[in-house]
Amino acid sequence: MRNYENLVIVKPTLTAEEIQASVKEIEEIITSNGGEIQATSPMGMRKLAYPIEKNERGYYHVIYSSIAPSAISEIERRFRINEDLLRFVTIKYDTNREKAAFNGMVEKAKKDASAPAKVETPATEEAPVAEAPATETPAVETAAPAAE
Amino acid sequence: MAEKRKYKKRYCKYCEAKVDFMDYKDAGALRFSLSERYKIMPRRLTGNCKRHQDMISIVIKRARAAALVPYTVTRKQVVVAPFENLK
Repeated sequence: MRNYENLVIVKPTLTAEEIQASVKEIEEIITSNGGEIQATSPMGMRKLAYPIEKNERGYYHVIYSSIAPSAISEIERRFRINEDLLRFVTIKYDTNREKAAFNGMVEKAKKDASAPAKVETPATEEAPVAEAPATETPAVETAAPAAE
Repeated sequence: MAEKRKYKKRYCKYCEAKVDFMDYKDAGALRFSLSERYKIMPRRLTGNCKRHQDMISIVIKRARAAALVPYTVTRKQVVVAPFENLK
């Protein structure tokens, strides 16, 4: 078992419940392949540094887990099939120094998950509203209902 | 000229702060080693040591893959500075 970090970007066109459902699905892919999820940290809806598949924003979710190295290729294959994902990044934490950093991040993620439960909801809602008038987000918004 | 002065003193900022590990998700911290066009700054300008330059280049490339930091910025976007809108 090795420590890995999976960062996934979920499509912003989905509704909040659909995003949560797909995040749960992603976590299930990891656990069903013998992975052990240690912590998760939702980074929330963010503006992407560059458009991916014509999306300007994306829902970031980070999963810290220990997975057998042989299972990674299967997990990544499943991620590639999943159409809700814009992008995923898998990072290995192998050396002693990286392991220490990994444990530190897991602790931090756990602390964040337990403490500010109320802060999360307004932060994710406010961010897109503030950006909407300035950037090209109206185009994305019009595209969203059509897709649904 | 302003940029020259910024990097005149040559010492590794990361060594001074005793950085052991860099997190690619913390995009703001990577800004020091990026030019305004989001190219990775060379060691001769930032004064980073070899060890930390290797670390930061790996971390920046990861952040680019995760769409936290742009690969390139066109002339129009340089003015807007997309980094401020990220948070």
